[in-house]
Amino acid sequence: MISFLNPILLFGILGAIIPIIIHLINKKKAVSHRFAAIDFILQTNKRISVKFKLRQLILLILRAFLLAFLAMALARPFVKNFIGGAPQKDVPTSNVIILDDSYSMQYSDNHESFFMSAKTAAKEIVNNLTKNDDAAVITCSGLGSQVLPELDYDKKNLLNLLEQAQPSFATTHITPALDAAVEVLTSAKASIKRIFLLTDLTRNGWDIDWFKSGNEKLRKHVSSIHIIDLSEGGELKNIAITQIEPQINVSEKTAESTIKVTVSNFTPARIKNLLAQVFLDQKKVAQGFFNIDANASETKEFYFSVEKGKGHTGWVEVSEDSLDTDNKRYFAMNTSNKLDALLIDGDPKTNIYESETFYLEKALNPGREHASSIKPTICSIHEVKNFDFANFDMVFLCNVETLPPEKIHELDKFAKEGGSVIFSLGNKVDANYYNNSFNTLLPHRLHTTRTFSSDSPLSEEQPLHLKTTEPTHPALRILSETSMSTLYSVKFYRVFYVDPAPLGNCKTILSFSDDTPALIERQVDRGRCVLFTSSIDRDWTDMPVKSFFLPLIQQLCRFLTGNIAEEIQRETLVMHEWQSPSPEDINSLEITNPEGTKAVLHPQLINNEKSFSYNETNLPGIYAVTVDGKPHPQFPQKFSVNVNATESNLDKINQKELTALMGGTNLTITTSPVTEGSEVLMGEAKKTLWGTLLFLILCILFAESFVSRK
Amino acid sequence: MVENPFDPVTLSKIASMELRARLVVDGVLSGIHKSPYKGSSIEFLEHKEYSPGNEIKHIDWKVHARTDKYYIKEFEEETNLKCYIFLDTSGSMEYKSTGISKFEYAATLAASLAYLLLKQSDMVGLISFSDRVFQYIPPRSRVTHLHILLNTLAELKPAGKSNIGVILNEFIEKISRRSLIIIISDFFDDINKVIKQVKYFQFKKNEVILFQILDPYELSFPFETITYFESMEDDRRILADPKSIKDRYLSGINRFLEQFKQACFENQIDYCLIDSSTPLDQTLIRFLARRESNL
Repeated sequence: MISFLNPILLFGILGAIIPIIIHLINKKKAVSHRFAAIDFILQTNKRISVKFKLRQLILLILRAFLLAFLAMALARPFVKNFIGGAPQKDVPTSNVIILDDSYSMQYSDNHESFFMSAKTAAKEIVNNLTKNDDAAVITCSGLGSQVLPELDYDKKNLLNLLEQAQPSFATTHITPALDAAVEVLTSAKASIKRIFLLTDLTRNGWDIDWFKSGNEKLRKHVSSIHIIDLSEGGELKNIAITQIEPQINVSEKTAESTIKVTVSNFTPARIKNLLAQVFLDQKKVAQGFFNIDANASETKEFYFSVEKGKGHTGWVEVSEDSLDTDNKRYFAMNTSNKLDALLIDGDPKTNIYESETFYLEKALNPGREHASSIKPTICSIHEVKNFDFANFDMVFLCNVETLPPEKIHELDKFAKEGGSVIFSLGNKVDANYYNNSFNTLLPHRLHTTRTFSSDSPLSEEQPLHLKTTEPTHPALRILSETSMSTLYSVKFYRVFYVDPAPLGNCKTILSFSDDTPALIERQVDRGRCVLFTSSIDRDWTDMPVKSFFLPLIQQLCRFLTGNIAEEIQRETLVMHEWQSPSPEDINSLEITNPEGTKAVLHPQLINNEKSFSYNETNLPGIYAVTVDGKPHPQFPQKFSVNVNATESNLDKINQKELTALMGGTNLTITTSPVTEGSEVLMGEAKKTLWGTLLFLILCILFAESFVSRK
Repeated sequence: MVENPFDPVTLSKIASMELRARLVVDGVLSGIHKSPYKGSSIEFLEHKEYSPGNEIKHIDWKVHARTDKYYIKEFEEETNLKCYIFLDTSGSMEYKSTGISKFEYAATLAASLAYLLLKQSDMVGLISFSDRVFQYIPPRSRVTHLHILLNTLAELKPAGKSNIGVILNEFIEKISRRSLIIIISDFFDDINKVIKQVKYFQFKKNEVILFQILDPYELSFPFETITYFESMEDDRRILADPKSIKDRYLSGINRFLEQFKQACFENQIDYCLIDSSTPLDQTLIRFLARRESNL
């Protein structure tokens, strides 16, 4: 049955009488002429007259039809349920509406956002469904998140769900959504199965490789795919903060912070004087201007001071543009207190390079003064009586032969009250003395030393190497893969063997290549003790000159003093998991998202390590971490979640590429807004006729021209 | 620009038919000094006393011998030519596109011919007709006869259907032998009938000249817009698109003219097709040239 989108324009069919009126008027207006040779006219006109009248009639009909068809074409006729050229009524269809809710859909160019347009279009699609049609709605940000992943006949329900749909801050994942759609449609019973993909067609959401296998599924299970480009085919321009890198340099009282800000210009024109502002704890602390070439990025550093010993949060923002979501990027930093370390050098030398503590001191505080948050103090065995252990956070016993008895007692007390004691051994160490004096602190009893003197590969006594027993141990967590590989290349020429039986609650962090312990941790009441079974200088090993030595020592110190939380929290991206190792004594953790919603986490075993894992990073912003309602030194007070900058590049996948990707499928791509009667809504269910009518009009025009000229 | 005095349009401005005829004929004759028509004998009429100025060669010397007085002989010139001018006055002759109608042209031509012939002392008669004879003026050679002819021509009004064949048939018995018969018409008629009757005249040793007068529009059919064409002789009326029928019309009328011309040629009938926009002197010269070539 033919229906019309603009039936009011059918009144235009009355225009068909215009040629008839003109014909009649012309007939009346015909000039009379008395003519002598009328016989010749009559002779010729016998046939011509009939032809003339016939031609006039044909012209009249053609012109009348021309106007009538024009009026009909403007009224935009269509045939409902038109399939394969034969109208079929009530053919049920199954439809999956894929709603792109990635943050690029929040693009708004002085009008409503693409997402709002997508919602309107989706509602229009649902409104056009008949009672026999069912539909599912799938969103394509994140992996497989779906609004209504099952086909439903209830239009009201579908419309309600669409009404409630909100744009996300995640990136686009078109192909998982297509996968999900195919899965839904595979089980559908309707003969016509359609996918409506409402997207801005930004390139990053399309996994080209998926189509190698996915295309076959689309061809097999989907009747047609309608891609509606909400950007209406236009070029999208965007400016975004794509990266921020905060850094902290701690001094005695304050910490100086720098933040590297990278702004990308995803427009075809150079931008000038783009204002970027840095906010710290809700106050603007720095600002600057960017001048960026077309399709380029620029990085600038901003400097500001932060108060020590506190957690800080902030953000960097640039001026508004059509897509605001990526104009702001958050960061969190913890400026921990300065740690004081006492280094008791058991083998001091006049040449400081040969001193037992030389490399350790450099590792704890490299470069200039106060560059690190750890302040080392070195003393000899004779000077140790002058130092009160309670004034330090940790005490290093480096190849110490003996300690005065009172100091041994003080050390024991120090450890039990929360201090950290680190033993590194050497040629001055007597196993029996250590076993007797520090048995409450040592993780294992010392046994004997063993020397691996030969460096020849043919020798049976090859130097030992290190290997990780617990690679996920907090003390090793900051070591990169390169550092870890360097770890295995360290050579140990002499080590102390220890008794296999631990003396307390112990954990071996590093082992030697012959599986004997190298670095052992022991929990002593509130404190921790660590035993390193070789020397901390270069007497027995080349470890101090290896690149991982510094971060390992620093991380070990933070771990031992409970300041394991990194100073600069690595940013977490929206929809990505945030993880933190779980200390033994903490059984729950609270995370408060930027909207104030709290989530309680319990430790899970991840890669054989107890960790806290948080997945609800749906919103960009600052998330607070608390234990029993308070910040805990083992965890960062806050961490930041930011949008994935890959979505900021709004480069679009073009129609040719899409057609190539989806070759063989019944694909339509429309850039016009979806309104009632849009061709995309007609699909198989409705066949538009105005194209045919326009073709007929052209034919009539041609015929009219041909007949009138003859 | 000086108007051509023989142009039909110019002539149409001259009301008097006599003046038109004189203008045409005198103009033509001033260029042609030799008349092709000459009387073959002279007949004595009376004697008249000589007065100075008379030609001496006409003095009758015998009478002078008897009476001793000078008398000159007066003769009545006798012609051997009788001319009958058939003028078609049917309704179709009234057609005029521009300038003058075919009838006006034909009447002026007839007047000119009459004047020319009478000037040469030939006898000229006039028959005006359509489907019947309106006027029949028997041929006379007197000078006063010219006035009668010209007045008659001036008063004629075209009307009715033409039927040349019937009219000619009526006159076959009336017309004496060896006459000149001039038929001026558009000949929108059955040409076979016309030719048939003309052949009868020829059989009686008459010489026949046919002047077919046609309007330039009838020859070129230059109409553009859709037109109701109405017959000038009856009530027929037809709506036609001139552009669509022009070719066929022209081919029809040219075929008709060709057939007519061919029939005339085959039967040795003098035929002259005249466009009514053609200056009359040219027509007359063509006529005289043909006559001269025929004699």
